[in-house]
Amino acid sequence: MSNSFIFYSVKILTELIGGIAYFPVWWYSRGLVNLLLGVKDFLVNKQKALALIVWVKNIFKPMYAQYDWQGILISFFVRAVQIVFRSIIMLFWAILGLAAVIFWLLLPILVIYEISFQLI
Amino acid sequence: MSQESNQKTGIQFIACSVCNGTGRAGNGAVCRNCSGNGVIAYYQGRFYYSSLELSRPIIKLRHLKNGVRLSVNSLAYAAGLIGLVFLAYWVYSASLSTADFGAFAFWREKSAYILVFWVSVVADMFVVYRLSEEEASKNKVEKIKYGEAAGGASPDNWSEFKKSKGKFKTEVTASFSVGALKIAEQAFILASSAGHGEVKPIHLFFCLLKDDVSAALFSRLNVNPAKLIGKLKNQLLAMETGAKSTNVSFEFKEILLEAYIDALTFSRKKVGPVNFILPCLERDKNLSEILYDLDINHDKINNVIQWFAISERLLENYRLYRQASRFKPSSAMDRAYTAVATPILNHFSYDLTLAAKWGRLELCVGRENEIKEIFHELESGKHGVLLVGPNGVGKNMIIGQIARQMVEEYVPQILKDKRLVELDISRLLSGVTAAAAEERLLVIIDEVARAGNIILYINNIENLMSVTSGAEESLELSEVLSSALARRELVCFAAASQDNYLRYIEGKALGNTMAKVDINEPDKNAAIQMLESKIGFYEAKYKVYFTYSSIAKAVELTAKYIHDKFLPAKAVDILESIAVKAAKDKGINCLVDAEDVADVLSQKTKIPLTKITEKESELLLNLEDKIHSRMIDQVEAVAMVSASLRRARTELREAKRPIASFLFLGPTGVGKTELAKTVAESYFGDENYMVRLDMSEYQRQESLEKMIGSHDGVLGYLTEAVRKAPFRLILLDEFEKAHPNILNLFLQVMDDGRLTDGQGRTVDFTNCIIIATSNIGAVYIQDQIKAGAALEQIKESLVNDQLNKALKPELINRFDGIIVFKPLSLPDVENITKLMLEKVRRLLEAKGIGFEYDPAGVKKLAQAGFDPKFGARPLRRLIQEKIENQIANVVLGKGLKRRDTVLLDSEAQVKIRQGRVL
Repeated sequence: MSNSFIFYSVKILTELIGGIAYFPVWWYSRGLVNLLLGVKDFLVNKQKALALIVWVKNIFKPMYAQYDWQGILISFFVRAVQIVFRSIIMLFWAILGLAAVIFWLLLPILVIYEISFQLI
Repeated sequence: MSQESNQKTGIQFIACSVCNGTGRAGNGAVCRNCSGNGVIAYYQGRFYYSSLELSRPIIKLRHLKNGVRLSVNSLAYAAGLIGLVFLAYWVYSASLSTADFGAFAFWREKSAYILVFWVSVVADMFVVYRLSEEEASKNKVEKIKYGEAAGGASPDNWSEFKKSKGKFKTEVTASFSVGALKIAEQAFILASSAGHGEVKPIHLFFCLLKDDVSAALFSRLNVNPAKLIGKLKNQLLAMETGAKSTNVSFEFKEILLEAYIDALTFSRKKVGPVNFILPCLERDKNLSEILYDLDINHDKINNVIQWFAISERLLENYRLYRQASRFKPSSAMDRAYTAVATPILNHFSYDLTLAAKWGRLELCVGRENEIKEIFHELESGKHGVLLVGPNGVGKNMIIGQIARQMVEEYVPQILKDKRLVELDISRLLSGVTAAAAEERLLVIIDEVARAGNIILYINNIENLMSVTSGAEESLELSEVLSSALARRELVCFAAASQDNYLRYIEGKALGNTMAKVDINEPDKNAAIQMLESKIGFYEAKYKVYFTYSSIAKAVELTAKYIHDKFLPAKAVDILESIAVKAAKDKGINCLVDAEDVADVLSQKTKIPLTKITEKESELLLNLEDKIHSRMIDQVEAVAMVSASLRRARTELREAKRPIASFLFLGPTGVGKTELAKTVAESYFGDENYMVRLDMSEYQRQESLEKMIGSHDGVLGYLTEAVRKAPFRLILLDEFEKAHPNILNLFLQVMDDGRLTDGQGRTVDFTNCIIIATSNIGAVYIQDQIKAGAALEQIKESLVNDQLNKALKPELINRFDGIIVFKPLSLPDVENITKLMLEKVRRLLEAKGIGFEYDPAGVKKLAQAGFDPKFGARPLRRLIQEKIENQIANVVLGKGLKRRDTVLLDSEAQVKIRQGRVL
């Protein structure tokens, strides 16, 4: 009984210390992967909400089933404008996602720099 | 190597051969062979093991570890918060000294406050790390992927387990919920503090009851917790105490492993305390006996766990669904803006996908196979699918589910980014001539074809059939639709009931262009699950709680006793009235149990369905006495009838036949009809639960229609009566006089307990008592009785020589009993006279007038009224003439007042005794 008690207390202690020591490594490995996956999901959802790909796919298809040549022409331009407009919004979201990743990557360096700046 | 294979669950337990499953070597150290595991489980090609260590110091240590982890985390939280406060304070003080915004650039300033802030950012990052890791460490019960579940014989040795790779080994306790782990620990502490040598299933089960979910489960099963806990305590107290150390028993280890596999098969994400229940019961016979005493068995628990799983899954589906539905357009336009506005269609229809997007459609449970079949038909090129099934099986629910799936875009390509629109036929046809309706339909079909994003749904499509614009050879509406379908201009779902399909659609153009998908009535288990998904709504609305048994009972009883409707609708229908009644009778927050269900259904169907009460069981046991208080003699007949009624009420009878069927033989006036009436009164509670058919009225073949109705709307006398109140006594007087073809009907009734009426509906006779009477051989019986022959002998020669001339032998054979009524003797008639005079007394008493009779007078009356040929029938006439008429005369002549007494003297004459004057 007693040796398993020692075994367990040692195990718990190493787990505690190991957990804290693993923190910096985690930030640039699993933590980063988690963030990237999250940003990907976010962008995919935004794309779906904007239906950007649907608009691009249907660029030559007339809107409101107006199959005469005027309809096709007008549709093409309206769709082009829509696509540009929606792409701009999409770009904004993409930049936001990229900013989050860059922030994640630079945060530890920034913190170390700032702390040393304060101390020196 | 000891091994134990559980046939039912398919789990194989393998115990370590070195330590015999204890996990400890001889000196108390951890067994080297199995590293303390003791026992492992093999299930579907994978090994499962538990590394949960249970001992007092280790449990304490584990709590300590959790405590330390919690305090480190809270420290980090606090540090992060303090840093922010410091920063805020610095900004505040900087704003006091300067108005220049450049001064707020804290990253360029040097200050102790800002140093604290930057250090606290590290703490913030640590918090993010800890939260994310804790989320990741919450192991979920890992589902075995499709096709990976390897069956076959297991490698039955420990070395195989050691060799196998990590993917095939699962540590189970990592997937236990906090509650489940806590209960396992509590079970150990309970056993250890009671001084028990081993932690047994009963310890675990006892601790389980403290868990909220398990408590809710047992309350759904209508268990009295105090009673259960009391019984468990007795079991615990009876165990041997005084052990120095407490070990984990072999069964306990098995339970941990099986709970995981249990959760796996229920596709739960975590192993919760409820998953311990069934494994505990399997391993402790006493436990299952205790629960059996409380009217709970394995199946019931299993179904309630399913119920909990269903509600959880519904909630989860709902969440996923809400997420997915965000992307569905909320207007009539598709995502690519290629659709066309459809004003006419919108006027005559209801948009199901929009309703689904806003969550207005009810959830559909089960029916995955039917939906798969519908999609399969669409994918294989059909543009029309017709759902055919009885009313109330849920055809509209299936269409609703398709609408929900269209919102999620979880559908075949042909349905993606489309609207499902229900065409309202009655609106389309109302107020216009057929020609105008046809015009409307044509416009709608044009609109749908042009829009290209519309799927039509037409409920009760038979209404479109045989609507023509009048002129001969003009098209009917359905053909307009079917030609559009044939040209593939639109996709259309439709629904029709079974008989309407046969009558109007099969073989017609529309029937040929559309693929038919049969929607059948769900089986009992599926129906229970469908009900379980709806229960929550009624519970919230009426603030009552349904026990599992009430739901099961509702399905069981409606399936058995309501035949003109179908599951699940017929069970859902009565659920609401049950909830209302329970809320009224028992008050809010009460439990609805099986008795309440039986109560409501009894009221609706007039069938006594409630549990046999003490009073009623006494009545049933003394049924003979009760009948004899109305009937004189005929002991054999009464005994036979009573026995069959007792069998029926305790449900010890074949469910597919009528409760009982008897043929009463005997001369007129001996009490055949009277016995039938008495049975109706004592069994159904009222003489009026009797349909009486004089079969002499059915002597011609044409009278068949009168009995069972005809296809052109004439309702049958017999079938209607039984259809409306299935619990009845059917008295067929002078049975042999009916036309042989009519008698043939009863062959089927007595054999299968059902009959198809003129309209094609099946009428259920399984809750009827059928009594046929006949005068065949009446004279023969009288002669034989006079000659002193035994009743049994008379019966035999009656059946063999006389009865078979009038009735077919197979019909005679169908009767449960042929009962010969004896001719009445003079003492019998005297007793009957007394009974009849008692009736007169009751009538007079109601008027406040007394009635007394002299025994000698009764004898005289009996002698005058007795006629061996006509039995007791002349007696009634005599009493009418001699007594009732005279009394009536006196009453009319004002010679009889309240408190007077009518006397029947020894000469059977009526006299009046004046009452006292007040």
